[in-house]
Amino acid sequence: MVKIALTEFYKILAALLILTASAMAAEVDAQLDRDTVAAGNGAMMTLRISGGSTNQPVVPPVENLIIQPNGQNQQFQIINGQATRSTSYTYVVGSHTPGDYQIPPIDFMVDGKKISTQPLKLKVTDAGAAAPPAGAPQNAPGSTPDAPADAASEDKDQFGFLTVELAANERKHAYVGEIAPVRIKAWLPADSRANLRSGIQPESQAFTLHNVSGQPQQTQEIKDGKRYTVVTWYGGISATKAGKFPASLSVDVTVAIRDTAALKQTRRRTGGPFDDPFFDSVFDQMNTPMIQKDITLKSDDQEIEIRPLPTEGRPEGFTGAVGNFKFDSTRIPTDWKNGEPQQVSAVLSGTGNFALMNAPDLAPSDAWKCYPAKGEFSGGDAASFSGSKSFNFSAVPRKSGAQEAALTFSFFNPSTGAYQTLTSDSQKIQVTGEAIIEEKPATAPEPPQPEKKTEDIAQQHLKLSAVRSLAPLVSQPLFQNLLILSGGLCLMGQLLSWLRQRRNDPARRAATTLEKSTREALELAAARATSGDVEGFFAAARLALQYRLGALWSKPPQAITLTEIHSHLPSDSPVTRFFIAADRNQYHREGPTGFLPEWRTLLDDAIASLNPSTR
Amino acid sequence: MSRIFLISLLVLVLGTASSLAGDFAEANQRFQEGDFAGAASAYEQILAVEGPRANVYYNLGNSHFRLGKFGPAILAYERARVLTPRDRDLRTNLARARKDAAVTDESQLDPRINAVVSALSPNEWSWLLASTALAIGALTMVGGVIRLPLHWTRRAVGISLFCIALSASALYLRRTESTRGVVLSDTTAIRISPFEQAESIATLSPGQIIQIGAQQSGFHYVESPNSGLRGWVADRDFSAVIPHQP
Repeated sequence: MVKIALTEFYKILAALLILTASAMAAEVDAQLDRDTVAAGNGAMMTLRISGGSTNQPVVPPVENLIIQPNGQNQQFQIINGQATRSTSYTYVVGSHTPGDYQIPPIDFMVDGKKISTQPLKLKVTDAGAAAPPAGAPQNAPGSTPDAPADAASEDKDQFGFLTVELAANERKHAYVGEIAPVRIKAWLPADSRANLRSGIQPESQAFTLHNVSGQPQQTQEIKDGKRYTVVTWYGGISATKAGKFPASLSVDVTVAIRDTAALKQTRRRTGGPFDDPFFDSVFDQMNTPMIQKDITLKSDDQEIEIRPLPTEGRPEGFTGAVGNFKFDSTRIPTDWKNGEPQQVSAVLSGTGNFALMNAPDLAPSDAWKCYPAKGEFSGGDAASFSGSKSFNFSAVPRKSGAQEAALTFSFFNPSTGAYQTLTSDSQKIQVTGEAIIEEKPATAPEPPQPEKKTEDIAQQHLKLSAVRSLAPLVSQPLFQNLLILSGGLCLMGQLLSWLRQRRNDPARRAATTLEKSTREALELAAARATSGDVEGFFAAARLALQYRLGALWSKPPQAITLTEIHSHLPSDSPVTRFFIAADRNQYHREGPTGFLPEWRTLLDDAIASLNPSTR
Repeated sequence: MSRIFLISLLVLVLGTASSLAGDFAEANQRFQEGDFAGAASAYEQILAVEGPRANVYYNLGNSHFRLGKFGPAILAYERARVLTPRDRDLRTNLARARKDAAVTDESQLDPRINAVVSALSPNEWSWLLASTALAIGALTMVGGVIRLPLHWTRRAVGISLFCIALSASALYLRRTESTRGVVLSDTTAIRISPFEQAESIATLSPGQIIQIGAQQSGFHYVESPNSGLRGWVADRDFSAVIPHQP
């Protein structure tokens, strides 16, 4: 029962709301988002009907004014119990003809009632006179198919364009081979992404581009009120043939830009906290889709007259250098030998086409044979238009004796339109050896000799040689070990030699023999003493002392007598005393006094006193 | 069992030698037929497998010379010269290659001294030094054991000491040859720093002799003896005459 009552209540409430909404007075409004627009651009017109329903309004035509429907939007709101329904119709309004336009009132039939908008005024200015405000819609996709031509041009450049700035040149012409520095700029929309699909190249085959900088500069610039990312290269452009040719450059690029028109078309005002124009740019960056396109950026055509290099006054040594150059330094050796090459070097600096510059010649030309040179260029600017080029080449003198040599270099100066020949300072040189006999020019063409080189180099070796090491032996352990072994052998040989010499020394051998005899005599004396042979004891003991004293005094043992002993030793020494006793025993036949053991002790003392330590 | 092993070893050695001789003959045949690139490749293969052989290097130099590659030709000739310094054919062809490449290799020594020290290769001088030192050692050893005739000993020692002094001097004067290199590339830049983007001082010709110094990040510090240029050269642009052996 209660449920039925509530259902009825809602039905009644809905009916009251509908009646209330229907009872509100319908309103219409027409607005332009700006009152001035450049020719070719469009303004946004919004027609808003609230409080009623209507069909698509009919906008009356205005001469030279283009009004293109751009969309429809409906809203239904309940505020404080009051329901509101509104419908908006948007149009893009513009013209390619400058002037003041008035859009007349637009009639609406709302719930059977005719309601009109107020008239609107729009001023269309010349395209170059007034730029639309920043952020204003331009070239919306809703523009009419018969949009203005300059608008189409701008649409073409929306992905970017290329400009080429030639160096200031007062002349209206250039010469073949002459090089001019250029600054090439690719203008790309600021918020775009771009990838180069080719290098920068001349449109005409009459030009070549040199020394384009590998790392282009990237800057942000504003042109005609629009922000661009500008990529700048430097290079040099030169002509390859005579005539009049457009000097334009091009580069293939893939560019992706933001589809701002799509954003304008889909934007909705919802009344939320971020529904403010202040946030539009932020949301644009976040939500705007990208459009990608492969395009060729091409610079404007600039027709240039290219003149050939004059044949009149062309020096013999001219090899194609065009510009203005000078010798920075030269080096020619002073001492030469016929047939032996030496290095000659030169450095040329200036401005011009260094790519066409060849090495200077050695003068006089008939006195030299020169080999191809190696050149090294050092650029002086970003376009390598100025700089210096160093050359090194080998030369062989053909003539002997004291000579003067110099380097010569010819070039065409486009500023003066004439050839110039530089000559370095003469260098006095001395050439030794026999002069090389000049080959006489052949009077008749000789048959070709393709195998001439075969005669000049020795033929192949057909026998296989043994494997050998390239590594230096001195750095290998084997070499060091051999040297150590050699040193060891020398030391050992010296040791053996010393031992052999020592073994064969006569003095040492005599001393050894004497020592041996002394020892034998002492042993004999001891044996005689043991057997009680006093006479034999003294004879053997005295002989032992004579051996020992003879060795000490460098005299034969027979020469050692008591007299000799007295002259060297004191009378109370054991040797003297023993000798006296021995003589007494031998010559007096009385025999020595005292016991034999005492004489043995005296003998031991005498022998001990003759040792080096006790002597 | 051991007999079978010895026979197998002998067969293996003979088979390898026969195969090598066949490869060498085939490379020579290619050269005779004008296939210089094929011949050079075959010679390089033999060297890679078998090791340094003077005649193979010589023939390889001839192949590169015929191809107009003066840098590799001079490198091969230089390596052959390390092994056989007295080969006249080699000297002739090396001089010819240098002449065509417009490079020189002038010695700083007096020509007479240079002729003497160049008569033998560095390794031959090393062997002479080591063998004469060994001879003196052996002589001293024998002299320590038995008495040798004095005049004969003095003469032998004198000759040995002269050989030692001569070979040591020759090795000293040629001490830089183990670090020599040959420029291979046509456009070899000598730079002030060991980087590709570094400023180039000059360019070196193929076949030019350089002294190799320190290495750093793909570059070697080199000196050109004839021009006095010093700087950094990329490793790919030159090769050492005596390859580095770790």
